[in-house]
Amino acid sequence: MKRVLSVALGVLTAIGGFVDVGDLVTNALVGARFGVSLLWVVVVGVLGIVVFAEMSGRVAAMTGRATFDLVRERLGPRAGLLNLAGSMAVTGLTFVAEIGGVALALELVSSVNYLLLVPFTGLAVWLVLWRVRFSILENVFGLLGLALLVFAVAVWRLGPDWSSLVDQATHPSVPGSEGVPTYWYYAVALFGAAMTPYEVFFFSSGGVEEHWTRKDLGTSRLNVLVGFPLGGVLSFAIAISTALVLLPAGIEVDTLGQVGLPVSEAVGRVGIAIALLGFFAATFGAACETGLSVGYSVSQYFGWQWGKYVRPREAALFHTVLLLSTIAGVAVLLTTVDPIKVTEYSVVFSAVALPLTYFPILVVANDPDYMGEKVNGRLANGLGQVYLVLVTLAAVAAIPLMLLTKAGQ
Amino acid sequence: MSGGSAGRDAPGTAAATAGGRRLDAALRLLDRQLVDRDGRLCGKVDDLELERRDDGSLVVTAILTGPGALGPRLPGVLGRVTVAVWRRLHGDAEPGASRIPFERVAEIDSAVHLTMSRVEAPTHGLERWARENVVEKLPGAGDAPD
Repeated sequence: MKRVLSVALGVLTAIGGFVDVGDLVTNALVGARFGVSLLWVVVVGVLGIVVFAEMSGRVAAMTGRATFDLVRERLGPRAGLLNLAGSMAVTGLTFVAEIGGVALALELVSSVNYLLLVPFTGLAVWLVLWRVRFSILENVFGLLGLALLVFAVAVWRLGPDWSSLVDQATHPSVPGSEGVPTYWYYAVALFGAAMTPYEVFFFSSGGVEEHWTRKDLGTSRLNVLVGFPLGGVLSFAIAISTALVLLPAGIEVDTLGQVGLPVSEAVGRVGIAIALLGFFAATFGAACETGLSVGYSVSQYFGWQWGKYVRPREAALFHTVLLLSTIAGVAVLLTTVDPIKVTEYSVVFSAVALPLTYFPILVVANDPDYMGEKVNGRLANGLGQVYLVLVTLAAVAAIPLMLLTKAGQ
Repeated sequence: MSGGSAGRDAPGTAAATAGGRRLDAALRLLDRQLVDRDGRLCGKVDDLELERRDDGSLVVTAILTGPGALGPRLPGVLGRVTVAVWRRLHGDAEPGASRIPFERVAEIDSAVHLTMSRVEAPTHGLERWARENVVEKLPGAGDAPD
């Protein structure tokens, strides 16, 4: 019974923890502009993150080594350092976006300007990274993130014409008001939001934090195979809800408040309260995850002791990196840069950085010297290779599309 | 000096005998995680010290670790700056890269396990500096996470 509970908890936190500020904003924005015509990208992205998270979780359970440990080892110090710089630039940008997202969510609750809330948000995030046990961090924010299910309730209460929605989603076409490059720009952004590299850094390092062994392979797989797709349903619900409410009204999403509009329309005040709780949990949880991912990756490249399973004084350089990156994140936000814009750029640059993360994982998951009999099977390799092509295409296309469409305008 | 260094591109170092075991040193040792006898992480195998035996075979005699070993393997200015900063901060006038004799290696799997505690490891300096000057200044640094 205890085992069933712990597995259920893992799956629930995977669902609730799936969505971050990038998913919130990008899905809402795309729904409001393109209806359901880009939902197929969410499906492709979620399958992709499932494939690679499963691989990185398996590698962590079999070898006790997390992603960046192996990136350094496979690519050597030079290419590894370039990879580290690229991946950390993107993860750092995502970290900034998440802290900003928390402050914006708190602004919606308190009506205090978010800039005043940013330093406190940064302090709160750092305190959690410094003091709170890993399992608590993961479970609390994951479970609270389930509040975003209110978007599914909103879609249900809006009572859409399902057959026409399914038809539009399965026969996607570029809406008349939008250009073809813009359509593809947002396709890349959605893909980047679903497959953000930090998710893999965090997932594999988390496996090491929780001392996974081969006995935990089943649990890890279940979290990924059930939790992530159900988390993707939250992304779906957000996009469909804005497609139903904001698209007909001609409202575009450029604030976090607008993401919640369909919920207040369909579910009312209680609904918006629940949605705000969901925003807060999703962004705060992801702020912790991205912050940790920066510390994990830098420490793993240099071989320093990392992790929350030891006292802070035993992982001094790791905690120094966490502290400095939180200060840097707060400093960037205090320049009054728009957090929603940061979010939009962070998902596009995530798409650019995808091959850096996913190529080494695929290589190591195929190495019998590490993996024993748990090397990739045909399915994992087939999917892994298809996705390597897809992430490379997205990475190559991202910047030209961004310039061509002036970042989707 | 019979010792050499095993940067990944150095020729003739592909295979070496390590602790009586033959293995591909570039693939199986270089850049691997070092783990101390208590299971704590304590750096990377940043380079290797090799010795040529009379029969012409190469033997790994020590693991080189820390900025003094990593710097020369990084490209251009970055590598030179790394080494220069490390020399400047180092106590000795002419420091050599920190070495761990190969006799202190207990086991090699997905990591290289040492028979020493990380406190004795030669790369502990930076970690100690961060502990004394940053982390221990903050409240709660010594509290157990569980």
